[in-house]
Formats: sequence, structure tokens, C-alpha cells
Amino acid sequence: MELLSHDILIIGGGLAGLRAAIEAKKASWDVAILSKVHPLRSHSVAAQGGINAALGNAPAPIKDSWENHAFDTIKGSDYLADQDAVEVMCREGIEKVIEMEHWGTLFSRTEEGKIAQRPFGGAGFPRTCYAADRTGHNLLHVLYEQATGLQICVYEEWVALSLIVEDGRCAGVLALNFFQGKIIPIHAKVLLLATGGHGRIYLRSTNAVINTGSGCFLAYQAGVPLEDMEFVQFHPTSLYGTNILITEAARGEGGYLINAEGERFMERYAPHLMELGPRDIVARGIQTEIDEDRGFEGGYVHLDLRHLGREKILDRLPGTRQIAMDFAGVDPILEPIPIQPAQHYSMGGIPTNVDGETPLPRLYAAGECACVSVHGANRLGGNSLLETVVFGARAGKKAAQKAKAEKDGPDLTLFQERLRAFQSELEKILGRKGEEPCFQLRDEMKSLMTYQVGTFRKESDLRIAKGKIKELKKRLLNVGIKQKGLAFNYEFIQYWELGGMLHLAEVIVEGALARKESRGSHFRVDYPHRDDEHWLRHTLAFKTPEGVKLDYKEVTITSYPPKERTY
Amino acid sequence: MRSTLLTLSIKRFHKEKDSSPWIETFQVETRKGMNLLEALLRIQDEQDGTLAFRYSCRGAVCGSCAMRVNGQDVLACRTHVEDLLGKPTLVGPLPLFPVTRDLIVDMSTFFNHYRKIEPFLHGKPISSQTEYSIKEGERKEIDPYIQCILCGICFGSCPAFEKDSQFLGPAMLAKAYRFLADPRDMRNDEILKAIDGQRGVWGCKTVFNCVKVCPKEVPPTHAIVKMRGKILKHRFVSLFAQILSLLRRSSL
Repeated sequence: MELLSHDILIIGGGLAGLRAAIEAKKASWDVAILSKVHPLRSHSVAAQGGINAALGNAPAPIKDSWENHAFDTIKGSDYLADQDAVEVMCREGIEKVIEMEHWGTLFSRTEEGKIAQRPFGGAGFPRTCYAADRTGHNLLHVLYEQATGLQICVYEEWVALSLIVEDGRCAGVLALNFFQGKIIPIHAKVLLLATGGHGRIYLRSTNAVINTGSGCFLAYQAGVPLEDMEFVQFHPTSLYGTNILITEAARGEGGYLINAEGERFMERYAPHLMELGPRDIVARGIQTEIDEDRGFEGGYVHLDLRHLGREKILDRLPGTRQIAMDFAGVDPILEPIPIQPAQHYSMGGIPTNVDGETPLPRLYAAGECACVSVHGANRLGGNSLLETVVFGARAGKKAAQKAKAEKDGPDLTLFQERLRAFQSELEKILGRKGEEPCFQLRDEMKSLMTYQVGTFRKESDLRIAKGKIKELKKRLLNVGIKQKGLAFNYEFIQYWELGGMLHLAEVIVEGALARKESRGSHFRVDYPHRDDEHWLRHTLAFKTPEGVKLDYKEVTITSYPPKERTY
Repeated sequence: MRSTLLTLSIKRFHKEKDSSPWIETFQVETRKGMNLLEALLRIQDEQDGTLAFRYSCRGAVCGSCAMRVNGQDVLACRTHVEDLLGKPTLVGPLPLFPVTRDLIVDMSTFFNHYRKIEPFLHGKPISSQTEYSIKEGERKEIDPYIQCILCGICFGSCPAFEKDSQFLGPAMLAKAYRFLADPRDMRNDEILKAIDGQRGVWGCKTVFNCVKVCPKEVPPTHAIVKMRGKILKHRFVSLFAQILSLLRRSSL
């Protein structure tokens, strides 16, 4: 049996994974990254608008501070974020953003040559540092460059299939070398999950095709609970047709949202901040306009940038213009962009503390797949990139400390046993002669999630969703896989990932059904108000043989007592 | 009414099955606004689960889905199927790279060249509390080269890379210029030394193919020409200095 071994193994090569790897490598540990795509193809690359940090570079009557940033984040989270974690992020974010600049990120500049900052939704200051509207691309390439300089080992195009847990600790992973079709166990003193989100369980999503939530499922399968999964962010502005993201920066730079009657309708939903309300409120505003027949035929509204003028669009929003032209045939200099809300981000995930530690010893998590929780019930734009670099670095540092304390090497028999058990399970799957096409099930799940578990939720819809997911899980057993080898076996990967996605969908639905209130992104039309008395708490979902079991935990409040949230 | 049926003749290669590639034709029903990547994903889902190709963002930013379509190197996600209807479309892997399977190519040469230019900022010393000062003009000089998504399309259409696979290639030379022109980077001679030579800037045929095909409008040839100028200036200055010192010595 071939067995690989590293001090620290990181699953996922996006911003959080790379940042963690760099930190651990700098502490002189044997670090490897395993990713199902080349790190530069990770979804972080698609982030556009920017990264928040209270640098105070933009002209404002008073200077911005990390405390202001923390307040905006906590209010934006509808008071569900853990305030100690938010404080860490906002305080340390300043130096982490400067560090990214020192490593080569080409941020846009103020006239004085400082990092430029733009207004973003739900923020009291122009706090979002940006590299035109390609901030994620800039950051990801810079971190990959740093990782290249440090000669960090990367298993490119490998798939993590199952965590190996022994004596209540994570010991490694069974991974598939996709091109060779071999399952290889990898021992790690510390394993860190940084696999991103699971947007692809939704039909309308801004996420990359690869975002199937594999890390969340790996942890869930291994007995780790998932936190606050019912909080799914719907981005207000995805391009009508393909649902590719149109950045919040388009509104930050002054874009208007206009319905089919020509009204700037955000006046009805966020009279002060208008288009720059937080995402949950703007997305619901747009969806209400569409639902009440004030949208355009097909279900969209307009994002109008024309008044910004050619020069500003070319300078600040060149990527947005390119996307609109490439994928909708619309030049925003001349025409408004057709947009509709779409799933964008998962606030929930694997519970961690501020050092990336999960409830399972030796297992760490960072980035979108983790739930620290800094976003609570609704994430502010510009905070996810910040989360990846702050908590990626913290998790990498802590993982390195932990690896130092671990002396024992791989237990060969254990890995052999687990590999054998997995392979016999696999043989059953690959030998199956079912007639059910996998894509059909996947598409049914995606439609279900968008239409029944979307921006507006209600008991009856959620009950239908629950039943349907149960049915899909049953039908999954009738999916046949024609190819018998594992090399380039897309059928198998699709099947495998769909199994995981159905579990995550189930967790979202159960959490949403139980939470009889409206908070942030989770809006129940049958319970339209926030209910702090009963629901100011985090959901924890456990996988049991009987299905999802829910539990709850307290929210950490430090200096910002919950208040009514108006914009 | 115009047919909405897309016919794709895909060049396939599975080395365990057949040592030479073969062409297989698929038909896909299209809808308005569909792109080639969606069509390929549909084939993989509904018709042939063995069809291999790379994909990720489907928004032309990740650089995964570079391939050759009717003789042009493109990103599949950015290619509209409306433009391909009516006649069979030939789809093949990105040329000049070894084929791993079907539309997947081995990009290890590409990333080896990437590593050769030490593609990470060698920053001038600065306090961890303060940012570098960069003028907007300096940023704009580098910005076009920052847009590179390392998709490999420019390599596929480069005659110098076709002739010599050790030629650094357009994307890497553009990347080298991005660091050379960055006021934060303390390297100068090191970068010029790394790209001086037939496998660097002097191997370029200046036919501007890379500039034409780049899906992100990066102009590698412009960077190459600028760097040639810098090397020549460098040589001229050191030659001038040598002559000057010879003259000084002879006058002693």
C-alpha cells in the first residue's frame, strides 16, 4: 500500500487554504495542499468587489476604525455573529490586508498613492479595498505566487473522499488521484479543510461549477456538526441567464437598481442606504419587485450604470463590463444590466474557534467551509476575502503549533484497514446497474433548493423540500455508474458529490424548518420577525443514523447588544 | 427557423484504449445564450460520462477551459454556441501541450516556465504597518499584465514555443515584466538576466499572436518589446562605462 504522510495537509487551494499553507510553511513544517483543481482555478479567483479593512484611506469626516468595522459586521449579521471573532477579524484584518499588498497585490490607488477604498453594502465608511473589480483574482494569484516561492507541495487534481478518524482524532484522509484512478491514504498530523462553499446545490448560484461543499460533507460524515447552515446568502445582482456575479462594487460606485416601471425601488426597502443596503435586504427587495410583477419578463430587474460614465466604468468596473458583454451581450456603458438574485455564499459551515480548531481534534477549517462565526445570519460584502486571509493565517499558525506537539507517525494497519473497507464499499457502487441518471437527480435538487428554500421560505415549502430530499436520497441508490475504473471517472465523482450535496441540502432544510423566525438571510414569511428570546443562538446539525439531529449553542456577545436592524 | 442543434466533432484521446486520437461527433440541443462549456457539460452528463475536460468558474476568470475550437484557441465558457450553429464544430485540446486525455492537456511545462521567472514579489524593505506608495500611473503600467489568468492560450498560438518548448512563452514574459515594472520589487538585473536570450525575449517572433488570442486582453508582445529595450539600454550603458574606463586608463 502506498501511503503518503505530511505534518500538515490542507484540502483546498483557494485563498484560505493557500494562506494557511504559507503560515505553516513559514513555521518550517512539511505542508501539502490537496485540491481537486489547480489552485489558480479555485473559486476565490471570481471574487470581484474587494476586501474590507479599516485603513481609513478614503476621505471621510471622521477616521474609520476597526471598532466601526466590527459594529457594521455585527449589525449586518443580524446579531448572530460571535462578537469576539468579529473583533479579531476586524482588528487583525488591517495588517493582513497590508501584508497582501506587501506580497504584491495591485490594489487600486488613491491620489496620494495609498490603497483605494470604496463604499460597500451595510458599511458606514468607504472601507472596501479593491483592485478594480478583480480583487479575488489579484489576491489568489499573489498567494499562489507566495506558495510557489516557498515551494509548497500541491497535489493537483486529487479528490478527498473520506476522513480517517481514530480514537476521536483526525488521522488523515483517503484521496483519489483522479488522473491515475488510485485511492491513496494520506496521513497528516493536522488536517485543515479549506474547500469553500456549496452553492451548487442551488440552481441559481454565482458559484463555480466545482463548489459542491465537499469539505463540509467530509467533516459532517466524520461526526463533526455543521453550524448555521440555514443561513444562505443570496447575492442581489447576478447576471440574468448565467447567474455570474455582478459585483456589489457596481452599486458601491453608484449604480442604480431599477424595476420595469422605471422606479429606483430600493427606497421601499432601505430608504437611507438605498442600493447599498446589506445583501439580504437588497436581494429580498429585488425578489419582491419580481414577485409582484414589477420586474421584467423572465424575472429580473435592471442594474443601471450608464450615469457613471464611460471613464469610471472602464477604470473601476472593467471586469463587470467584460462579463456583461461576454455573457449577456450588454455593454453597461450603453445599456442597463439585467440582474436577479442568486445563491452566493454560505454563512454556515464547520464550527471553528478563532484559531480554526473544529470540535474534532487535529481537524481544522478555514474560509467559506468554516463557520467561525463572523458572518452570522448575513455576511457583508468584502468580509469573505478578509475572513480567508485572517483566519487562514490563524488556522495555519495554530496547525503548525499542533503539529509540533504531535510525535506519533502513521499507524499503517489503520490506514490499510480503512482503505480496504472503503474499496469494498466502492466496488458495490461501481458494480451497480441502476437506470437513474445522476444529472437528473442533481437538477431536481437544484431547482428544489432555489424555488423552495430560497430568499423567501415558509413551512409548507420546507416540508415539501424535506420530503423531496428524502426521495432523492433513495433514488440515488438507483444511479448506475458505467465506468468501472476511477481514472477520469466523472460519473463516479458526480455521484459521490451529489450524495454529499443531498446531505447538506437536508441540513439546510432542517435548520430552516426549525428556525421559526426571520433573521438575516433566513426569511420565513410565516414568521417575519426576529425573535431574540428564542432564536438568538447558533444551530448545530449532527449526522445520526436516524437523520439530522439539531442542537443549539449560545452566541458570544461582547460590546454590541442586539438592536433593531434598520438601514 | 434556424436549427438550434449544435454538432460538435470532438477530438478524443484515451491512451489506454487507443494510442492515437479519434474524432467523435455529438449533438446537443441548445438554448439562447448557451456557451460551449455548458454544451460540453451537457454531453458529459447525458451522453458520454467519459468525455474529459477541465472546468471551474464558467465566467472566464479561472483559466481552466482553454481549448481549440475550429482552429482558434479559446475559453469554452466564453464561446457562444450561437456562433457555432449550422455546421459541425471541431473541438480539440489546446495545441503544443501533451494531451493527457480528450481535452485535458499536461500543463507542467507551462508551470515550470512560470517557476523559472521566480514569480513572486521581492519587496523592498518596509514596515509591516505601512503600505507601499504607488502612483496611479505606475499601477496602470502594470495593470494590463496583472489580468493574466494563466490559461495557456497564448502558448498554444506562439510560433516560438512551437519551435522550442523551452521558450519561456508569452504569459511568463508578461509576468516577468509585471514584476520588473512594479516599483515595490527590488529586482531589476535579475529579471532581465532571466529573460535575456533566445529562450527569453529574443526568441519572440513579434507576430503578436498572443496579443490577438488573449481572452483577457493582456499584451505580452508589448512587454517583450519593452524588456528588449531595457536590455539593450543596459548593454549600451555598460559598454559605454567600459569604454570610459578604458579611455581613463589609457590617459593615465
